[in-house]
Amino acid sequence: MTSTGFAVICLLSFLVPVPILAWLDRPRRTP
Amino acid sequence: MLLLGVGFVDVLFGIFVLLGIERVTMTPGQPPGFSLDFIDWSHSLAASIFWSVLFGLAFVRRGRPVALWAGLAVFSHFILDFFMHPQDLALWPHATAHVGLGLWRLWPRGWWWFELAFIAVFGAIYVVRARRDRSFGGRPFAVCAVVLLLHLANSPWASGAR
Repeated sequence: MTSTGFAVICLLSFLVPVPILAWLDRPRRTP
Repeated sequence: MLLLGVGFVDVLFGIFVLLGIERVTMTPGQPPGFSLDFIDWSHSLAASIFWSVLFGLAFVRRGRPVALWAGLAVFSHFILDFFMHPQDLALWPHATAHVGLGLWRLWPRGWWWFELAFIAVFGAIYVVRARRDRSFGGRPFAVCAVVLLLHLANSPWASGAR
């Protein structure tokens, strides 16, 4: 792997999970 | 906001490497699999404080406690990196003094269990708090599962970099 590939993976490994985790972290709707 | 905050300096690191401002060399077979040759603008102590303050200021309109915790989230990255990094964390950009306990190299595979212990402790705190305070953490176990999956993907056994 090149340093550029490493930098891209580093970026994606943070930026991709953030919206997924934020979506899972949202409060449950209460009736 | 907190999720982005804890990884903010690594996002900057990725951008800075792509721009040629910071440097990393891959070292296959030698833990942790890469050498962070120059990461002073994203990861040094002074830079971490600067990015923490800047990130916190972005949330001042939401109140001081929110801004404070946003800033602390960014700075927590430096504290945890201090344990893992092998003396490549400069005190300020271009400083000769570098810090880091170097668990990545001291424990070529054990570091992964050390980080897992952090995830277990803080994951448990998150689940307990989410169940008590209904304003966040609607699916706490799913959150923990995603974090565990990410940690597994980053393990010395699964990651190509290590």
